[in-house]
Amino acid sequence: MSSFITGTFSSKNAVIDAIKKLKASGTGAADMAVFSDEPIEFPRGVLDRPSHMSLAVVSGAVSFFLLVVGIVYYTQHAYPLVTGGMPIFSFWAAGVVFYEITMLGAILTTAGCFIWESGLLRRDKGIPVPAVQPEVICLRVRCMPDSLGMVAATLEKAGAQNVGKLERAA
Amino acid sequence: MLVTQIPYHQVRDDLWRPLAGASKRYTLILALLSVVALWGLVAWGYQIHVGIGVAGIQRPVFWGFYLVDFVFWIGISHAGTLISAILRLTDANWRKPVTRAAEAITVFALMIGGMFPLIHLGRVWLFYWLFPYPNSRLLWPNYRSPLMWDVTAISTYLIGSLIFLYLPLIPDVAQLAQEASGWRLRLYKLIALGWTGSDREWHALERAMKLMAGIILAVAISVHSVVAWDFAMAIAPMWHSTIFGPYFVVGAIFSGLAGLIVALNIIRKTMHLENYLLPHHFDNLAKLLLLMSLLWLYFTFAEHLTVWYGNEPKEMSVFGARVSGRFSPEFWLMVFVNFAVPFVLLGIRRLRSITTATIASVGVLIGMWLERYLIIIPTLSMPRLQSSWGRYAPSWVEISITVATFAAMAALYLVFSKLFPIVSVWEFEPHEEEH
Repeated sequence: MSSFITGTFSSKNAVIDAIKKLKASGTGAADMAVFSDEPIEFPRGVLDRPSHMSLAVVSGAVSFFLLVVGIVYYTQHAYPLVTGGMPIFSFWAAGVVFYEITMLGAILTTAGCFIWESGLLRRDKGIPVPAVQPEVICLRVRCMPDSLGMVAATLEKAGAQNVGKLERAA
Repeated sequence: MLVTQIPYHQVRDDLWRPLAGASKRYTLILALLSVVALWGLVAWGYQIHVGIGVAGIQRPVFWGFYLVDFVFWIGISHAGTLISAILRLTDANWRKPVTRAAEAITVFALMIGGMFPLIHLGRVWLFYWLFPYPNSRLLWPNYRSPLMWDVTAISTYLIGSLIFLYLPLIPDVAQLAQEASGWRLRLYKLIALGWTGSDREWHALERAMKLMAGIILAVAISVHSVVAWDFAMAIAPMWHSTIFGPYFVVGAIFSGLAGLIVALNIIRKTMHLENYLLPHHFDNLAKLLLLMSLLWLYFTFAEHLTVWYGNEPKEMSVFGARVSGRFSPEFWLMVFVNFAVPFVLLGIRRLRSITTATIASVGVLIGMWLERYLIIIPTLSMPRLQSSWGRYAPSWVEISITVATFAAMAALYLVFSKLFPIVSVWEFEPHEEEH
């Protein structure tokens, strides 16, 4: 069973230093999480979180486009009208509808991707979350019990003010 | 100028303070606005009960106040998305105290504007016929109709704007949940979706907001273009114009900005946010308003010049009625408040202030409502066949519903500002305070 340890920092540079040291000692990026009450931007390579949001949004838009073209094509041909073989489906006249529904696809996929990539609705309730005070940055590290001492020492060395163990939620 | 730094805890306290309790004045104003809004609902109920005949619309003017209000409110809704999205994409730092107030305007104005096609339908209970659902009548919506364009455009814009308002609200609401109790705690927890402030969440939020800003910008421009095409696709005098799309978009941004300045000034005064909504925010917005005023004048001039030079008799009838005929008082009042007033008050640097920007904005709101009126009513009153000419006068039902929408907008805004911080706390970095 893995354990959780946190260190609180007052400067971004100290957090970067801690992350670099922990990575050098074998801790993976997936085992580290930074908590703050405002967004903190790290330089590339420090704690990258790969994202496929842009690609997913384009895919969502394309899917909705194909869906709406299909619906419009089907419904315009479903009229019980005798047209003597003349088309009643006009692609360009329905262009606005295609455009708007394509954008709707992009919007809904963005919202869906945000929920998925942020992990909001699929968070393991057992993993403890540190209480973050304003203007304080908290680094949480998941590690095996036998490496707790090493991680704590690394955090302290990097400038953590308070280092403590977090218990799993019941 | 005294320069001090506002500490973060004070920022939080200042921006959260308006959420606590409701003063007698707040309750009284909200009650009054609610009564006016309810009166509008009563008028609508009367129209549903008796029939659309109680409205002043009749042959040949089938689009009256309802369509004027529809275009006006959709225009106001452009405040949020365009201000917020453009400034977000360009990383303009001064936008931060302004964006949420603007995004909230968008959502409420769209909700109100989107109701007008339903009110105008008459038999509102049949609105679902606009959606493609399997039915025994084998009838499907006609997607080539601009009415269907409106339905899809406004629905997409409303959903997008709600998400655009909601996403940056999550971190603030999560913080509020830590100190709330009772029903507020339950509400904030529900909205916060379990936000913890982890780097994963912040990264996802920032990426999503960047993408949403780009998407919503494209949707916002398309929405008002579609509203313009409701008119321009008809071969009616002074409607069938290629510049109607951009003309409407410019007018929408113009009125949206004006709405935003008025709302921000009221928020600033009533919520005592003088340290957050600073003179330079209003100065920047006032300059943007002046720019839009000039653009609006250019489009209006171009539109009227080509009609006048073409001298086509049917077009000239409408042109004459607007410029020197029975609609001329409204026309010249529109030009005065949309151009002359902003040009003087905002163009002359020493006259430009928060008060003058607000005065000019109120004028622009009146002027842009008149512009929508002047686009719709003269053209419909004077169709191509002269024997079909007619007049339009709004009934008490239309006037009641129109007034009620303004009250509803203000009431919704008041309620929102009591539930959520009207200035985004997490986006608000400590700044230099101006005195």
